[in-house]
Amino acid sequence: MATQIIMDHTGDTRHQFDPADVAAVAEAERRFKELTGYGFIAAKRMDDGRSEIVKTFDPTAEETLFIPRLQGG
Amino acid sequence: MSALACANFCVAMLGAACLIFTILTDTRPPSRQAQEKSLALLRRWLSPEQAAQYNSKEQFDVIGSDTGTRYRIRHGHMTSIDQLDSAGDEVCAWRFVPEGNLAAGDCMLAQKIAVETFETKVLAIANRSEGNGWRRPSAEQAMPRIGG
Repeated sequence: MATQIIMDHTGDTRHQFDPADVAAVAEAERRFKELTGYGFIAAKRMDDGRSEIVKTFDPTAEETLFIPRLQGG
Repeated sequence: MSALACANFCVAMLGAACLIFTILTDTRPPSRQAQEKSLALLRRWLSPEQAAQYNSKEQFDVIGSDTGTRYRIRHGHMTSIDQLDSAGDEVCAWRFVPEGNLAAGDCMLAQKIAVETFETKVLAIANRSEGNGWRRPSAEQAMPRIGG
């Protein structure tokens, strides 16, 4: 199962989907486009604490994190 | 597209829009459960070395993706990031946060990923301090943001 993790005031909200399920992948891709369209930054988790920013939906990513827009604090 | 499919799509879009609006406008302080959940997420994304640092001192170091500079992220949802020199001494501090009222673990994780993957870009929108107050990087940018 792949997981999309959206940071929010509850800590995060998670959506799991089966990469082999065409409909679930389409729904996950729709969610990806919607969130990044609103300004969320998408990152996928790599090995050993590394991460990579993703600009396009990657159904093979085991874990994709969505970070709200960043601003000077 | 059938009327039912169209209605389902509209409901899904409305739900997603409400969720995003809530994330970005909720001003309630994060609950204890939210704090714990965010810290568990942070630990999953830290390297073993960073996790050890965080467990012992509630802080961890990250390496900037563009310059190789070392920064120190400390526990908190609005804390600054210390830029360190080769001796490990603080050079200056940077401050940037994700929008929304997020828990500490989420804020630290956002800072870690940003510095480790798009250091120059994120520091361009961060506020900076050298011990004499905070200033924005550019007077022309009233509230610069990254992420659309």
